[in-house]
Amino acid sequence: MTDIDEVLGSLSADLDAVVLFSPGADLYERLLDDQLVIVVSDEDERAAERFVELPVEFSALSDRIRFGIEGALEQEYVTENDQLLCLAATYGDDMDTAVRIRAGEFTESGVYDLFVNSRAEPGVIRDVVEVAVELGKKGQKGKPVGALFVVGDAGKVMNKSRPLSYNPFEKSHVHVGDPIVNVMLKEFSRLDGAFVISDAGKIVSAYRYLEPSAEGVDIPKGLGARHMAAGAVTRDTNATAIVLSESDGLVRAFKGGELILELDPEEY
Amino acid sequence: MADIAELLRTLFSEETAVTVAIIVLLVGAVAGYLVWRGTRTLLLRLEVDEAVEGTVFDRTMRNFGFSTVGLLALLSAMFVYVLAVFIALQVAQLMNTQMFWTRLMEYLPRLFIAALVVILGLVVGDKASLAVSERLKSIKLPEVTLLPSLVKYSIFYVAALVALGQLGVATTALVVLLAVYAFGLLFLAGLAFRDLLRAGAAGMYLLLSEPYSIGDEVEIDGNRGIVQEIDVFVTHIENEDTEFIIPNQRVLRSGITRIR
Repeated sequence: MTDIDEVLGSLSADLDAVVLFSPGADLYERLLDDQLVIVVSDEDERAAERFVELPVEFSALSDRIRFGIEGALEQEYVTENDQLLCLAATYGDDMDTAVRIRAGEFTESGVYDLFVNSRAEPGVIRDVVEVAVELGKKGQKGKPVGALFVVGDAGKVMNKSRPLSYNPFEKSHVHVGDPIVNVMLKEFSRLDGAFVISDAGKIVSAYRYLEPSAEGVDIPKGLGARHMAAGAVTRDTNATAIVLSESDGLVRAFKGGELILELDPEEY
Repeated sequence: MADIAELLRTLFSEETAVTVAIIVLLVGAVAGYLVWRGTRTLLLRLEVDEAVEGTVFDRTMRNFGFSTVGLLALLSAMFVYVLAVFIALQVAQLMNTQMFWTRLMEYLPRLFIAALVVILGLVVGDKASLAVSERLKSIKLPEVTLLPSLVKYSIFYVAALVALGQLGVATTALVVLLAVYAFGLLFLAGLAFRDLLRAGAAGMYLLLSEPYSIGDEVEIDGNRGIVQEIDVFVTHIENEDTEFIIPNQRVLRSGITRIR
């Protein structure tokens, strides 16, 4: 028994901060007395002083921790050499996991940056990711579909692309996150071409053929034309691209010409 | 009500009238119970109990071992009981001072409505202030907490006014006060939101007819660039290094130059 306590004690020795993932009220209050506490959650229920908002439900704990720590670093709650103890619920609804980590342990992937510091509003990016995930889960009439969403900097994107056919969203005022929109996007996803979405979430166009220069875009080998176009358009403009792959069903996000985030819809 | 009593009295002899009065009392008791049950189930079916949960009035009621729904049901049952008692008394001709009682009879429904309005006002006012503060939750400004209580007390005031009016209390001065308050609010709001209203009206036109859309290059009011966003109040135009955020009424007033 003492050995176990020793092991657990070594986890909590010389901590600089505690990172709580969706904590209960009393736990937060208790720890607040003698620790620097950072709350990572999808909603700021505790009105915590140091708070990182989770934009999507990362199912894998490592993704959640990575996002939380990048957010904490970005907001300067912690510095790279700080020792952190992450407390999270992996299996049930109660805290069951403790992870000790140095804040600068992994190279920054820009996951936090993708959601918070993009041109488009964070809620819009989150909504688009959710739409893509849902599309990936269900597909179009049971068949896997691919889709490409270019979010933000819509004016510039429109000038760097051309229509493949009539734009079904012309003179409409549909925003991502509207209740009916998932069905609409699902229907239009069988069309070729990209969806263009503005900073505030208005769906500007479907059926766009993107024409950025693909020069110097470095994306993992084996990905197709859709991903190449996504990478290239984000390098040429300040947009963020979210791609649902038709072949492997993964949702990927590109920003600044680089692959930032990879999600498996099946895990949600 | 007095007519029914009159009719009953002409139909029966004096002894039977007493019996009828007792029957009326019994019927009233049963009817009161039925009304109580009916109101209760209706209110519960309409989920009134969930709607009023958390308001100060409901909490106070609970402290006394009541609930709002229970109180409302009780109130309507009481109304029926008292009505039955009056009819019974009249049938049995136990009261000679007719005038006073008839006046009271006319007064009863108004008292009932006044009580209802007060309860409704308390609950709705509390609920509205809760809703407003919920909307303003994300705005971290201490002064904003003034707004929910302003809404709450405005509703209380109107409810009190209606209730007093029902009871026949002279409320002219209070009504004048309300009118002044409403006018001041309207006037100040009109003054404060003038630009927003104009921008909104212009924005409606721009959104509906879309003379320019996202991606077009335009020049508005001397600012040239690519349209990035149009919403109800403003238009975002961006060129290489600047982003112009132009209120929509200026777009309409200065006109739009589209550059091909």
